[in-house]
Amino acid sequence: MTRTRSLSQQTRTILALMADAGSEWLHGYELCRRGNIKSGTLYPMLMRLEQQGYLVADWQAAAEPGRPPRHAYRLTAEGRALALANPPAEAAPALGAPSGTPA
Amino acid sequence: MRRVLAMAIVRIAAIILPASHRDWSRAMVAELAAIERPGAALAFALGCLGAALKQAVSVFSPTRGRALGILCAIGAVGLGWAYLIAAGAPLSHLVLNGAALAIGLLAIGILRDAGRIWRAMGGGIMVALAGIILLTSLFGISASGVTRWLAVGGVMLQPALILVPVITLGFARAPGRASLLAVLITAAGVALQPDRAMAGALAAGMAALAFYRPGPAVLVALAAAIAAFAATLAQADASPAMPFVDQIFFSSFGVHPLAGLAVLAGAALLLLPAIAGARRDADNRPIHLLFFMVWFGVILAAALGNHPTPLVGYGGSAILGYLLSLLALPPYVEGRIAGQSRAPGEPESGAAGPDLRASLTLAG
Repeated sequence: MTRTRSLSQQTRTILALMADAGSEWLHGYELCRRGNIKSGTLYPMLMRLEQQGYLVADWQAAAEPGRPPRHAYRLTAEGRALALANPPAEAAPALGAPSGTPA
Repeated sequence: MRRVLAMAIVRIAAIILPASHRDWSRAMVAELAAIERPGAALAFALGCLGAALKQAVSVFSPTRGRALGILCAIGAVGLGWAYLIAAGAPLSHLVLNGAALAIGLLAIGILRDAGRIWRAMGGGIMVALAGIILLTSLFGISASGVTRWLAVGGVMLQPALILVPVITLGFARAPGRASLLAVLITAAGVALQPDRAMAGALAAGMAALAFYRPGPAVLVALAAAIAAFAATLAQADASPAMPFVDQIFFSSFGVHPLAGLAVLAGAALLLLPAIAGARRDADNRPIHLLFFMVWFGVILAAALGNHPTPLVGYGGSAILGYLLSLLALPPYVEGRIAGQSRAPGEPESGAAGPDLRASLTLAG
């Protein structure tokens, strides 16, 4: 009597982007831009992924002087496994290609 | 200008986010500073505000069913305010309903993590709560031949309206000797008061439970509830209709059609969490339907007789009762991985592995 419900397309897209980045750290706005996803959807998703051990977050110095440190993210081994098991559908944006309206 | 506005919005979002998410609020502020285009910064900030609001709601309750219930309660009280204002109710009525809502939300915030205590002492707590209903019928405040109220700090409370839904749902969640005793005491209490509305709600809830889980304890509880309801019907109930409390399903349309619609919509909202839960969570459908039947019983009684109209009418007891009953709603268990289902005795949530947890909380 239970129903199967998989990860949302947006979660799959973000997981794929992060898996594609490998050990590279990604920032929130960058994920919004590349995944064509709004910040209001992205941050709750990142919070849950971090809480469940699928990604790690770290504070990193900004590239530009005078700017505050930025929160950066990358997948854990469990997160990469989750991304592999849940690839985005064909309609997902091309990995690494900025598209759509930011934020 | 847009950048200043964006920074103000994202700072509001940072304030709204719970303290446990402080790193995330700092992350949003820092990320905004890195966005060059003002329009994009504003859109990003608005999204962050939405995310913060979403998190604030989820902190009130980690379960979506309960969060939906909280939103419905807030909506119903809000629609009730609209009716009360349109009907010219005293300001004190609006203040009391608002205070009850605030206290109820605070209680949910305090009690939401009390599951371990409840599992250890739930039966005893339920018996104590049922005792309050019985004591009210024996020593409470009487009016027009019925004894249903207690004065607490100068405010008249109707304990049965607060506690019957909690006890009914508590029995359904954890049927046992103590919780059955609590139901029997409750049935005696509402029969003695007499309170047709709450006896009817108790009977309706038990009937729903008996339909799905017709065990000996449930059938005994159902029999007691039906007997209590029959006893209330056999006794005279000459309570007059109280302004802004009773009969407002009809009188509100006399105030203004929109006020009537507000009352109807507010009452309908109360049933929404149970409907959503029953549709989305097959494992716990009996509990959600019991919740539906109890509150539908209260609403129906308000439509048929001189009984309080829950949440949309004046009165804090129903507001407290509704919010407390949300605590007894189980978490949704939708979204299990294919082929997996909960084994008997397995916890409803919290003990799942990473993959299952992902499917539970990241779906949608």
